[in-house]
Amino acid sequence: MAPSSSEIPVALRLPLTAFRRRVWLVSGLALALSVAGLLACWFNPAIGTPLRPGLDFTGGTQIQLERDCGDSCRDLKAVAISDLIRNLELPPESDQPLPNIRSPRVQLLDGGESLLVRLPSLSAAQGQALISAVEPVAGPYVAGGQAVDTIGPSLGRQLLRTTLISLLAAFAGIAVYISFRYDGRYAVLALVALAHDVLIVCGVFAWLGLFLQLEVDSLFAVALLTIAGYSVNDTVVVFDRIRERRRQDASLNLSEQVDQAVSATLTRTLYTSGTTLLPLLALILFGGATLYWFAVALALGVVVGSWSSIALAPSLLTVWDRSGDA
Amino acid sequence: MSRYQGWFAFVLALAIAAGMFLVRTPLQLGLDLRGGSQLTVELRPAGDITVVGDQELEAVKAVLDRRVNGLGVAESTLQTVGGNQLVLQLPGEQDPTAAARILGDTALLEFRAQSPETEVNFRSLRQLQSQATAILQLRENQRSRGETPEPLDLESLSETLEELGVALPTGDGDAQLKVLLERVDAELLTLLEPAALTGKQLVSAGRQPLQNNPNSWEVTLNFDAEGAESFADLTKSIAGTNRLLAITLDNRLISAASVGPQFESAGISGGAATISGNFSAETARELEVKLRGGSLPLPVEVIEVRTIGPTLGAENIRRSLQAALSGLALVAVFMVIAYRLPGVVAVVALSLYALFNLSVYALLPVTLTLPGIAGFILSIGMAVDANVLIFERIKDELRRGNTLIRSIDTGFSEAFSSILDGHLTTLISCAALFILGTGLVKGFAATLGIGVLLSLFTALTCTRTLLRFLMGYAGLRRPSNFLPQGQLPTKAA
Repeated sequence: MAPSSSEIPVALRLPLTAFRRRVWLVSGLALALSVAGLLACWFNPAIGTPLRPGLDFTGGTQIQLERDCGDSCRDLKAVAISDLIRNLELPPESDQPLPNIRSPRVQLLDGGESLLVRLPSLSAAQGQALISAVEPVAGPYVAGGQAVDTIGPSLGRQLLRTTLISLLAAFAGIAVYISFRYDGRYAVLALVALAHDVLIVCGVFAWLGLFLQLEVDSLFAVALLTIAGYSVNDTVVVFDRIRERRRQDASLNLSEQVDQAVSATLTRTLYTSGTTLLPLLALILFGGATLYWFAVALALGVVVGSWSSIALAPSLLTVWDRSGDA
Repeated sequence: MSRYQGWFAFVLALAIAAGMFLVRTPLQLGLDLRGGSQLTVELRPAGDITVVGDQELEAVKAVLDRRVNGLGVAESTLQTVGGNQLVLQLPGEQDPTAAARILGDTALLEFRAQSPETEVNFRSLRQLQSQATAILQLRENQRSRGETPEPLDLESLSETLEELGVALPTGDGDAQLKVLLERVDAELLTLLEPAALTGKQLVSAGRQPLQNNPNSWEVTLNFDAEGAESFADLTKSIAGTNRLLAITLDNRLISAASVGPQFESAGISGGAATISGNFSAETARELEVKLRGGSLPLPVEVIEVRTIGPTLGAENIRRSLQAALSGLALVAVFMVIAYRLPGVVAVVALSLYALFNLSVYALLPVTLTLPGIAGFILSIGMAVDANVLIFERIKDELRRGNTLIRSIDTGFSEAFSSILDGHLTTLISCAALFILGTGLVKGFAATLGIGVLLSLFTALTCTRTLLRFLMGYAGLRRPSNFLPQGQLPTKAA
């Protein structure tokens, strides 16, 4: 057999137990700031929910127009478009009241090449009428470069419900699996790490919603679910190593076991986060406006997830175990 | 050793098969990538039915299927989603306006006789209705030509309205006129007797232009035997009187006609009728399609319309492809720098992984959407993780002074439990998302889940087979291909 396996020569060594108070301070501060952001959003009369909800949740119509404008793209002002829309008369829809389009939200993206208009729900015909009415000012359009999304408010509630239910179902499934493969304590800590990651990402987006008017959409919900899966995946590998160290050398005290396991997996965790961040970075750089904030949320989740699996979850394990043994 | 050569041949054959399959079978692209429209309708409980069940959903789907087919759009698909929704997808550049109109209406057709002694009121209301409709039409035409219509003066109507018991709504211009029209419609319905005949008794519907005016169309109807009898009875009861035969659609009067005295004895027999209600070719076709499809057993509401132009879709493909390729390239560079020879093997395994993924998408088939591609790009990260775990273990074993072949074998077996746990927990999340999620979320969960399953296969089989196969060559069998010389234990140890 190989030399004694109790001393693995590792490239990096991390005395985690010695730093654990600092780890908790950092995580605690980040959590407090996140909760503050969510509460600030919630009590902001203009928002009223913990995150600024986008079209997918509130319902409404979003029209995206790609403009064929060359050098003159930057000349168009968003105010000109919103003034035009405000004074527009839409064709009526048989049995529905006319939507109120007096306060459109107009955004110009990519240096004016792309025009984004958000309004209360329009019918398909009304959307087309609006597109042709805006054409004299914002046109000519790129052929086939239009996107119109109309979403009823009931769909938003449904999206919120299914997202929460599937998140909870994923939580429960993961907890059962980890309890089965490890034990209940590991399951609880993996979920604590997961909740920590999800909450911090939500908190950052709450602040972004307050300061940049950033709205969360269905892709953000998808990002949260992915972060949940990634966070657990990351944490489980560290736990697996701790368990292995325990089996190999039960005489070491737990803090030492945890330190050794975290050090042994440190390179892997950093490399994995790095290699996951690289495609996300590519998405941020080349993915375009649709996927930009999705990729940002995921990248943030990967960074926070690595932190919680290297530092937070293992350091909490040392405390729990000690109080249990005493 | 021959065992690994067998595996190597297997992996190679699989890769070739996957490549050939992929060349022949195009990937199915979602609407956000190739352009098109998607409409979601939701069933609303009504009348005796308080909860929408599978039976109602299927009944509504059958009707909407017929209507969509009648519309004649290419490659459309209609699917049930959840317990009470239907999603219609129209690929390509097709205006969803007509589809939205045709899906949303209940299309309840009714034939009703005008109640006795209501002639005067009925006539004035009809007149008001046609005038208001004409004015609205005129103003819309003016607007579409870019002219601004003059403000409306509805005060002159007040006397007529008073006589009819209809109050002039407040508001301005068109909106006022529209509300007025609604009231007139509702008022007209009160002057009709209950339905003697409905669209249920129809066997077919058609359309034809009027003989004296080819720009105006009428819709033709044919009833079944029972319907023909009811129609004869109905026409007989009002033949020769001043009472009219009213045809209503979704509780709006669309046509009213008198029945001549010659039908007093037997009514109009033969079971055929026409509706001439000032139809254009297009509106006549829509009504025909709706009537042929039958009326909906429950009202539906269009709750979502998403349209994306083909150019934007192509732009989405270009961008996500660019992101996926540059992401893969960055990861490949990183792996080779960090792990040397095994890094190169991992890059080959990852390319196989991408190839297998795409083939599975074509095989199942998975419709690729933007979130789906994001799920794929993310699963690359997970696939790399498995390789990183294995190679780190191999390095550990080498640092302990184990031989190369033993280090590789131990590395794979030691890493197995963490890889399995990590992949299975992700798979649990994917399953939850796929079963409970809808639309975007489902597509994302599908590609991520397939990616995680394939990553288990490529990491444990392809990477290992390739690595062992290469170890058959003495020139490559050097620990320094795995680890910098300085980190290896000295021979003395």
